[in-house]
Amino acid sequence: MKRLAAFSAALAVLAVGAAVPSASWAQTKITLWYPAGDITAGASHFAEKDLWAEFEKKHNVKVEAVALDYETMQQKIFAAAAGKTIADILFIDNSWLPGFLKEEMVEPVADQKAKAWLAAVSPEIKELSDYGSGRMWGYPQYGIDIYGLTWNKDHFKEAGLDPEKPPKTWPEFREYAKKLTKRDAQGNITRVGYAIRHVGHPHGVVHKHFWALYGAGAALVDNPLALRGGKAAFNNAGGKAALQLVLDMLDTDKSTSLNFPDPRAAFLKGIASMQISETVSIHARQPKEAPELKWGLALPPVPKAGDKPVSLLGGWMYAVPKQAKNKALAWEAIEWINSPEKDFELCKKYDATPRYKVNWDKEPFKSDPYDQALKLIYPAGKNLPLNLGLNGVMDAMGGAIQKAWHHEATVDQALADAEQAANKAIADAAK
Amino acid sequence: MADQRDRSRPWPRSSPRPGPRSWRRWWAHLRARHVLHAYLFIAPVLLLFGLFRVVPSVQTLIYSVYRVELLRGRFTFIGLENFRDLLADAAFRTGVVNTLIYVLTIVPVSAAFGLGLAVLFDQRLRFGELLKAVYFAPMVTSTAAAAMVWWWLYNPQFGLFNVLLRLVRVPDQPWLMSSHTALLSIIIFSVWKNLGYNMIIYLAGLQAIPASFHEAATIDGAGPVARFWRITLPLLAPTTTFLLIYNGILAFQVFDQVYVLTGGGPAGATNVVVLDLYRQAFERYRFGYAAAEATVLFVLILGVTVVQHLYSRRFEVAY
Amino acid sequence: MGGRERRRALAVAGRAAVYLVVLAVAVVMALPFYWMVVTAVSPAQDILAFPPQWVPNHLTAEHFRIALAKAPWASYYLNSLVVAVVSVACSLLFGLFAGYAFAVYRFPLQTVCFLLILSTLMVPVQVTSVALYVLLAKIGWVDTYLGILAPNFASAFGVFLIRQGIKAVPVDLIEAARMDGAGEVRIVLTIVAPLVKTILATVAMILFLGSWNDFLWPVIVINSQGLRTLPVGIALFKDPYGSINYGPLMAATVIATGPMLVAYALSQRFMIRGIALTGLKG
Repeated sequence: MKRLAAFSAALAVLAVGAAVPSASWAQTKITLWYPAGDITAGASHFAEKDLWAEFEKKHNVKVEAVALDYETMQQKIFAAAAGKTIADILFIDNSWLPGFLKEEMVEPVADQKAKAWLAAVSPEIKELSDYGSGRMWGYPQYGIDIYGLTWNKDHFKEAGLDPEKPPKTWPEFREYAKKLTKRDAQGNITRVGYAIRHVGHPHGVVHKHFWALYGAGAALVDNPLALRGGKAAFNNAGGKAALQLVLDMLDTDKSTSLNFPDPRAAFLKGIASMQISETVSIHARQPKEAPELKWGLALPPVPKAGDKPVSLLGGWMYAVPKQAKNKALAWEAIEWINSPEKDFELCKKYDATPRYKVNWDKEPFKSDPYDQALKLIYPAGKNLPLNLGLNGVMDAMGGAIQKAWHHEATVDQALADAEQAANKAIADAAK
Repeated sequence: MADQRDRSRPWPRSSPRPGPRSWRRWWAHLRARHVLHAYLFIAPVLLLFGLFRVVPSVQTLIYSVYRVELLRGRFTFIGLENFRDLLADAAFRTGVVNTLIYVLTIVPVSAAFGLGLAVLFDQRLRFGELLKAVYFAPMVTSTAAAAMVWWWLYNPQFGLFNVLLRLVRVPDQPWLMSSHTALLSIIIFSVWKNLGYNMIIYLAGLQAIPASFHEAATIDGAGPVARFWRITLPLLAPTTTFLLIYNGILAFQVFDQVYVLTGGGPAGATNVVVLDLYRQAFERYRFGYAAAEATVLFVLILGVTVVQHLYSRRFEVAY
Repeated sequence: MGGRERRRALAVAGRAAVYLVVLAVAVVMALPFYWMVVTAVSPAQDILAFPPQWVPNHLTAEHFRIALAKAPWASYYLNSLVVAVVSVACSLLFGLFAGYAFAVYRFPLQTVCFLLILSTLMVPVQVTSVALYVLLAKIGWVDTYLGILAPNFASAFGVFLIRQGIKAVPVDLIEAARMDGAGEVRIVLTIVAPLVKTILATVAMILFLGSWNDFLWPVIVINSQGLRTLPVGIALFKDPYGSINYGPLMAATVIATGPMLVAYALSQRFMIRGIALTGLKG
């Protein structure tokens, strides 16, 4: 009994001891949370040791950047916000924004600063930053992501195609894919003309289908800037055509297959000749994984000549949560790291595209072939819609894509079911 | 005076009016039954669980009758609306069905394999210790890490499993890519992961059976199979009960491997309840709805556990 | 004579068949580990070579070098160890006493208490984690060792299994000790505990494993780099979009897992001996 009491007492002392906050700092400290690993190229600089040195000296603060596990990041942010122990700066995926806005988790950028930013950056950054009437919810990262068509130039040459001329229309796209597909003696596909993403998180599947969906004239929701309400806009001729394109390539042309579930890896390994996904990722991985690969970058193809090409703009952004303890300092830090000078410095260092118009006129960006190729693609970029039910809509659409391409439902049925689920999600989120 | 060993009766209801005499007797009775000790001994567990597990659980369950906007601090009471929505939600229904299939398959299969291996290793096998360690090894890694490895093993193009199938001229299987085989693939992974755990619990139980029992039966002419059915299995009933109940509780909450291997796909075909509630909570920010799912799951698990507990009493053999 | 020989031959064949099956399944068991180790020592290009290379042509220590350089392993190990040791020790101690109480005593509300303890296992940790986090934030335990330990000071699994084990201890032993004037605490610690030594060792092993691999709760409650446990540290090697990091990730996993296998091998000695007296009856 005595021993037990003694043990409990010791535990209690420990508890009290640990609960008392440790030695308080003379300086203020602001924390920044970002995803670890190569999730996004725009987070590479956070690991730098003295990244914030100048800022820290000027304002007498300490900036602590903490890497988080990407997969549990949303959960952690939510719990921390609920417990009011959240970081001062969050580096978040901009597709998380609707969910955060639903819970009123982030602060908007001050109007004056937003106006100044929108005037100084290039058009695609403006598209990404502006959430209607000049409202900004954060600052997008440097080196924004855009989805583009990448193709293997050697494969093109081999198949008798001009390696500098990518397919521009869907019929051309199908033809090229047919020519590029290779088979073994038994007739099994050993190299696909075009690799598709059809497994994994439904949101990712939808992101990689975006170019086809919007290119065919459909959309995820009818009003991309309405936070609440609205309807799904993919159960129509355009939506069906987009799904049918790949279905035809699977069944009729046999130029693609479900057995190559990681298109980027397949492309880098040389078993896929074309794929459409984030360009930044290929740019970052190719030198390490496939140093001999010669590849091209262009806009995704359109249904017919004369149509406007569409691509998805993606990226991460700096945001300040409402429950942050040092909001003013947080905004200052964000503005400092996103100034034109810092933009130039970091983009040059990490081989990424800059955001400010003035920086685009400077070397090395002016002459870099990759950057200039991107510049041609950027105008086609669109941001994801800002609907509170967006996640539900993407779940539904992703499910439809998978069902259709796995031959578990007809295109019409899959889209009809998805439309119902998506509208329900929009309605539920708007409540 | 109440018998000190009488465990069936509570404190004596002797005198109608409590006076100093009967208080002392009541106290003596309690002390003899060590009631005070009992409460003191379970106090740490109850207090710690009470504070750090029961309170959060109850709070979460209570959220099911609210529309929860946790960060705004707004809780709107909506009665059973969440539950009505649940019944109409096809994804949730699929989740429940898949979870039930998972539990009903994996719990008995894992136990059966575990028992088989334990019986095997109970005999002296060459390299027994090494083999046992190999069988236990999957338990040592985290489920998520092991699942990542298996994601690649299941790859239809490069993965080892299809490579092996090609060697024996069996056609490639889609494994995780098709809704017909995805759930089965997850189940196979889970059986692999839990085999060692079932095995060592059974091993502990087996070695408690005195050798004299087996000897006596052999002398009476019973073969190994008869010995297994008539002696080993019944005496292992408590172990079996423990495994079925405990593994059942955990299996109902399967999450990690589904999240890593299929993400609930393809097209929601491998959705399970905990994955569904996780996505509702942290991707759709519908915390009240997720809590309702947790409540339904809780009731399901509790029901199954109680039934198992009552049923198992009939099989316990004492000697 | 022929019959006996035939029976002997069958017995040998039977044993051989058993060995074969056991070995085959053992290979299946070990395969993912083999792949993990091979990936950890193969150069990046070979990891996803097509056709896949099951026996590596080139070996490299590059991934281990990266993994070791990229993360403060000593700190991770230390944190994991502190958390595991404290939580296992507390769980064993509290579980021993609670298991004893449930097994030996009869007291009011006994079944209710037991079911209450068991029921803490029945609500998914994914959702209770938020409520628990908010609670801990209020008392300042977020981002502290205590925060990580909070839901792990006791274990329902431990209480359940220990209770089963103690039920097999003959009541007479306990009564005799009481006659001799021993206090209950002393009985638990000096008489009952040694008798259920094997159960305690099993519980300790499994709880240690669970704590070592525990990911979800630590990742939510830990913010500081200095407090990270192993699974949290390893997760930072993950890159769900790229395959280039499989090498360092597998190397990191090997570094984390290796000692566990050694610990298991050592504990096996302790676990098997002395079960005969207890078992899991009743």
